[in-house]
Amino acid sequence: MSLVIDSVYKRFGDVQALDDVSLEIKPGEVFGFLGANGAGKTTAMRIVLDILRPDSGTISWNGRLNTEVPRDTWGYLPEERGLYAKMKVLEQLVFFAKLHGVAPRKAEQDTRDWLERFRIPEYADKRAEELSKGNQQKIQFIAAILHDPQVLLMDEPFTGLDPVNAALLKEAFQEMKERGKTLLFSTHQMDTVEELCESIAILDRGRVVVGGTVRDVRRSTGRQVVRLAVEGDSDIDWLGTLNGVSVTRRGQDYTEAEVARSQDPATVLQAALARGCTIRQFEIADPSLEQIFIEHVGQIDTSERTLAPRGTYP
Amino acid sequence: MNGWRTLFPNAWYISAHEFRSRARSRSFIIGTVILAVIAFAATQAPVLIDFAMSTSQTRIEVLVSASGLPSDSQALLAGKLNGQASSASQPAFVLSWLGSGDLKSAQQALEQGKFDALLIVDRDPASQNLAFTLQTDLTSDGQVVGTINQAADWLALDDGLARAGTSIGAVQATPFAVVPVNPSAGPAKNVSQEVSTSLLSTGLIVLIFMAIVTYGMWVAMSVAEEKGSRVMELMLNATTPLQMLAGKVIGNGAAGLTQYGIVLAAVVGGLLAQGPIHQMVLGSGSGAPFGGLDPVVLAAFAVLFVLGFLFYSLLYAALGSLVSRQEDVQSATSPLMMLIFVGYFMSIFGLQAIDATWVKVASFVPFFSPYLMLARVSAGHVALWEFALAVAFLLAGIAVALVAAARIYSAGVLLYGQRVGLRQVLKAARVSR
Repeated sequence: MSLVIDSVYKRFGDVQALDDVSLEIKPGEVFGFLGANGAGKTTAMRIVLDILRPDSGTISWNGRLNTEVPRDTWGYLPEERGLYAKMKVLEQLVFFAKLHGVAPRKAEQDTRDWLERFRIPEYADKRAEELSKGNQQKIQFIAAILHDPQVLLMDEPFTGLDPVNAALLKEAFQEMKERGKTLLFSTHQMDTVEELCESIAILDRGRVVVGGTVRDVRRSTGRQVVRLAVEGDSDIDWLGTLNGVSVTRRGQDYTEAEVARSQDPATVLQAALARGCTIRQFEIADPSLEQIFIEHVGQIDTSERTLAPRGTYP
Repeated sequence: MNGWRTLFPNAWYISAHEFRSRARSRSFIIGTVILAVIAFAATQAPVLIDFAMSTSQTRIEVLVSASGLPSDSQALLAGKLNGQASSASQPAFVLSWLGSGDLKSAQQALEQGKFDALLIVDRDPASQNLAFTLQTDLTSDGQVVGTINQAADWLALDDGLARAGTSIGAVQATPFAVVPVNPSAGPAKNVSQEVSTSLLSTGLIVLIFMAIVTYGMWVAMSVAEEKGSRVMELMLNATTPLQMLAGKVIGNGAAGLTQYGIVLAAVVGGLLAQGPIHQMVLGSGSGAPFGGLDPVVLAAFAVLFVLGFLFYSLLYAALGSLVSRQEDVQSATSPLMMLIFVGYFMSIFGLQAIDATWVKVASFVPFFSPYLMLARVSAGHVALWEFALAVAFLLAGIAVALVAAARIYSAGVLLYGQRVGLRQVLKAARVSR
């Protein structure tokens, strides 16, 4: 009873977009899809949606192949946002919902409710081209959920949203989760993943390099991280001179250091006490997802490998 | 291809959407108005022609110095000048028969512009034949003077015959029978009706040509627009490519039909108004108001219009799905454009040589039949089975185009980036849903 992606391969010309991708996403879970541009996130989503067909491998939802599942199972927020530029917001949302079999009256009521929640009720009768990018994105999110899909696939939903709108969208995510929906989204923003996701998968060049619950992924590295903040003296250069300790982050709030596996993190605390520091914070933490991401994917590839559509909004 | 079963209702929703966004566009409204005006004007061609033929009227005064002219001379001259059966409401020549009047006052009237010409009939003293002098500012080698000259010759002839003791009426060949070459072709039309018919059939061919080019392009544009604006991905999740293809063709076709209906209304209105307008402009009614347009031609036009559009718009949709931006639609669809142009020019030239073998053969080929069959029908040289056969071929062509277009379309809509080659499309078409 879950969304299963089983040994999926997909090649475009000489690019192996997906290379033996297998994942399981549990119902009711919020799942984060991480990866550099061109890692295969969009392709994977399109294949799940049966917009693209894999070269080999299968996708199933609750034991049924994705080619057999009703289309209204899926809600999709594509990476490249697209709306009918000249069409009024309400009109096109009702149109999309109608295509999914929703009664127009209900679609209109739900649309108005959602516009209200996103604090843009006055945009119902505006043309899409009159809206800002962030607002268009909210409209697209509504378009993805109006037909009450069981699974929501969202490609970079937070890109281009200001903090206020991002918070609104996160709230909507939470509500979808409470309604028992399964959410899968891709992003570059690690803090969002840490905030929202129960499970993640990191894709690199079409392969799943690491996957599982966020907690497991963090522990899987076997790295130890300590966070230390001392009163008054912000100069804690001595930290880096300790045996087997390297500073990974320097901040006004706290300093983060990685401790070699052979060392006991407690030695850091002992060293601080020995120096007479007044300790404000000491924490043995899991490595951040960002560190894990960089560890697995390495330096972020600057060469564009994206297969996702690129173009202009008319 | 599991989309066949579930074509509706989504195809309806999409077609309604396409229709609405099309019919609301400015280009649609302006185009419809212009076409309707042109169509209306074309129906008024007979009035225009009658009008052009009636405006020039020549007033002639005739002074007879000669004696012993036959008594029917005046009637003969008037008859010859204005023709036997002038259908024009106003005679081309107005005759003022002065008899043996005063030359001075006649010339005075000419100078005052009351008349255009003064014809003096005299008798040659040697031969006793009539001699004519025409005083006028009209061009001596023009048509008007030529007509007067011919009529005067008849007068001289009549006078000569009278002196020989007979008359024109006695020697004239009567009756002069006119027998049509092809008795089944029906009564011949007069010049203005002929012109109107030819104008209208050319107009109908132009209308079909423009419909296919314009409305077909709408389909291609709307496909490319959805691809360009990325609505495509949203649509693909909600619908199947076949639903989209069908919806676009039906929606844009319905918009085209609406335009066609309005233009047709202008044509019918124009034909109905022919009489009243004729009355208004020329002071008399014209002949049969629907003489220019055959209902059979209109029916054939309707059938060929719908089928021709379906056939070509499917191909347009397929080609439109291969490009990622609207700017590339022109180049992607240019091969199709060439085909359409070939058919169009064939039919325009074909109107001049309607019975040529190549016209007959091409009028059965789906790519060309919408024009050429229409040209043949409007020329009235076509049997019902020929029309039915062309329609059957066209329907078969539509079926083939539908299957091919659905395949190319579902493969093409997700191919972004560089121009897509045929091989890529065929490869993608094999694995797409």
